[in-house]
Amino acid sequence: MSAEKKILTNLIVSFIIGLLVGAALGVYLIAPLLAPPPPAAPVELTVFSLWGGAEEENFLKCLKAFEEETGIKVKHVHQTTEGLMVGVPSQFAAGKSVADVIIAPWPAWIRSLAKEGHLMEITDLIDPTKYPKDYVDLVTVDGKIYAAPFKAWAKPGFWYKKSFFEKHGLKPPKTWDEFLDLLEKLKNIPGIEAPIASGDGVGWPLSDITEAFIINRGSPDLQVKLINGEITFTDPEVRKVFEELTDLIKKGYFSTPDEWTAQIDKLWNEKYGIYFMGNWMTVMPQVKDVNDLGFFPFPGAKGVVAGGDWVIIPKYTEHPEEAKKLLQFLAGPKGQEIMVKQGGFLGTHADVPAEAYKPADKAVVDFIKTVKVVADLDDAIGGDFQLTFWDQLKLLWVDPGALDSVLETLKDSHLKTLGKG
Amino acid sequence: MRKTPFLFLLPALILLILFVIGPTLFTLYMSFIDWTGRVRGFVGLKNYIEIFSRKSIINLEKPPLSPPPRGALIHNALWILIHVPLSTVLGLVLAVLLRNVKGSTIAKSIIFIGMVTPMVVGGIILRFIYDEHAGIVNAILRTMGLGWMARTWTAYPDTALLSLILGSVWIWTGFCMVVYSAGLETIPDELIEAAKVDGATSFQIFRHIIIPLLKPATIVVVTMSVLWVLKVFDIVYVTTLGGPGGASTVLAFEMYMDAFFRIPANYGTAAAIASLLTLITLGFAVYVIRLMVR
Repeated sequence: MSAEKKILTNLIVSFIIGLLVGAALGVYLIAPLLAPPPPAAPVELTVFSLWGGAEEENFLKCLKAFEEETGIKVKHVHQTTEGLMVGVPSQFAAGKSVADVIIAPWPAWIRSLAKEGHLMEITDLIDPTKYPKDYVDLVTVDGKIYAAPFKAWAKPGFWYKKSFFEKHGLKPPKTWDEFLDLLEKLKNIPGIEAPIASGDGVGWPLSDITEAFIINRGSPDLQVKLINGEITFTDPEVRKVFEELTDLIKKGYFSTPDEWTAQIDKLWNEKYGIYFMGNWMTVMPQVKDVNDLGFFPFPGAKGVVAGGDWVIIPKYTEHPEEAKKLLQFLAGPKGQEIMVKQGGFLGTHADVPAEAYKPADKAVVDFIKTVKVVADLDDAIGGDFQLTFWDQLKLLWVDPGALDSVLETLKDSHLKTLGKG
Repeated sequence: MRKTPFLFLLPALILLILFVIGPTLFTLYMSFIDWTGRVRGFVGLKNYIEIFSRKSIINLEKPPLSPPPRGALIHNALWILIHVPLSTVLGLVLAVLLRNVKGSTIAKSIIFIGMVTPMVVGGIILRFIYDEHAGIVNAILRTMGLGWMARTWTAYPDTALLSLILGSVWIWTGFCMVVYSAGLETIPDELIEAAKVDGATSFQIFRHIIIPLLKPATIVVVTMSVLWVLKVFDIVYVTTLGGPGGASTVLAFEMYMDAFFRIPANYGTAAAIASLLTLITLGFAVYVIRLMVR
């Protein structure tokens, strides 16, 4: 065989081998595309919320009802305040989100995330006329709704242990003078560390009771004006309220701030007489017997702070359609009725039946109807002000003499956060 | 052949560039950017001017010896001034006292527990230790007849910072003691015996033999302690959240608040604080390395 023929033969053989390898490779790569697709893995939504303990147990029952109705699996992951407030925006900044649905109580935080383009618009998913107008307005940016109201809560007044009051012949006060009289009596009971428990942790329990003073020793409009930035903390009317509060701190009526759930334990162990807290007090595990838990509104109540928890969907969810279904379920009457029936939860949807409420929650709902409802001051303003407010109140509680500097610091932060400084 | 050493260095160098030098340079770049919520552009030194104009970073209105808050920068300086000498001296004293003592390993292990405890756990323990009613500090005060002093030490502006520093000394002393113990092992017994033969007292041996020979260990202890207190964060976050009224805030805490807690997040000023912290740390590290080389 000549050299030319040999080369030609080799070329043909190489070509045939190449064809065979190419065909085999092609079949190997294309075959999976031609085969019927494997059954899709069932979708599992991840939900973030701040609820733990009894609140989480109740919420899981609601999620189970959703799973049974839709066949969509849902996993709830409890978050701490810091975890939600800090962790979620960090994920969003990276264009990711672990959670498909998030429940959060901070409208300012939600608006901020919406403005930055991290949230899905849900205007067409809910009927805004079915919710209190304020609850929708608070999460509306440029006419678009970014969150659905799920839970309403209120901070109606003081909680106490009924058996402790009975043992010492104490009665819930109806007037301011009766309230002062109660504080003095409580202070003189042996074993009592302070008449009023002061909650700490991140700082919101102190701001809650301070706002109760602003609303009820000042007026609900005073709180509204502060939220809108029409007045600030050095205003004479606001100062007068703070002076009254400071006077009570100086008299030793408030305890040193300590972790807020530990303070419920101490209330129950009769180290404190009363504790200002929201309606979720009824489901706190530290309350050993809910029937022994009493409640009285702020003496001479003029208004009450009410807020809520909103459902949001991150823009980065991998399951947008399923997430929308869950949002609609939670924001709808069916999901809310399940929650309301379990207690410690006030619904936001107009179609939740009144008879679904437990007596303690019904009492709070009925009380709220008698007074003016205003938004939470620090939640509504948010940002740097919220942190400063919490921190400065901690200072005021242990150093009431610092009132002037506290009010000045609050003024600076208040105006700066509202863009008026 | 000359390239071979660099080839061996390459893997470590790549990791360093990716995970240390790169992020550091990017942080420095970020510190010149207005990044409030989203990137808004180059702003020169604006972020630095802003952080230095904040009372939470440096409060020049307050005289040096007035009660806190004096600003995070001053607080960090106080951490160095109080924490470093205390933990260094305590570590040295414990190492010397426990040297050649039977069962000292157990005592050293107990002291070292603070060091291996996560700082978050350490912070929670501190909250209990300083609690007005349940804390051991106040229990001791009451036992000594000083019950009138009992208070939640971390809740008051005049004591919060000092409480954190002393708590951190308790946690960090174990490290100092271990380094000094290792240093003591390197001192030949003959030297000490010779000094004894010459009539030197225990104090003279300690002053003129042990301390000078422990200089390398001291440099390590002081360097590590300064770096530890400059970046202190977790213990502050868990125990006081920088309060009350900013009385115990530190630079790392302020940086965290700017980057993650404020709405909208201000990554620009957070990066400026981080760069400032890096600059201080770097300056100190270079000084110590020079000292060691000499």
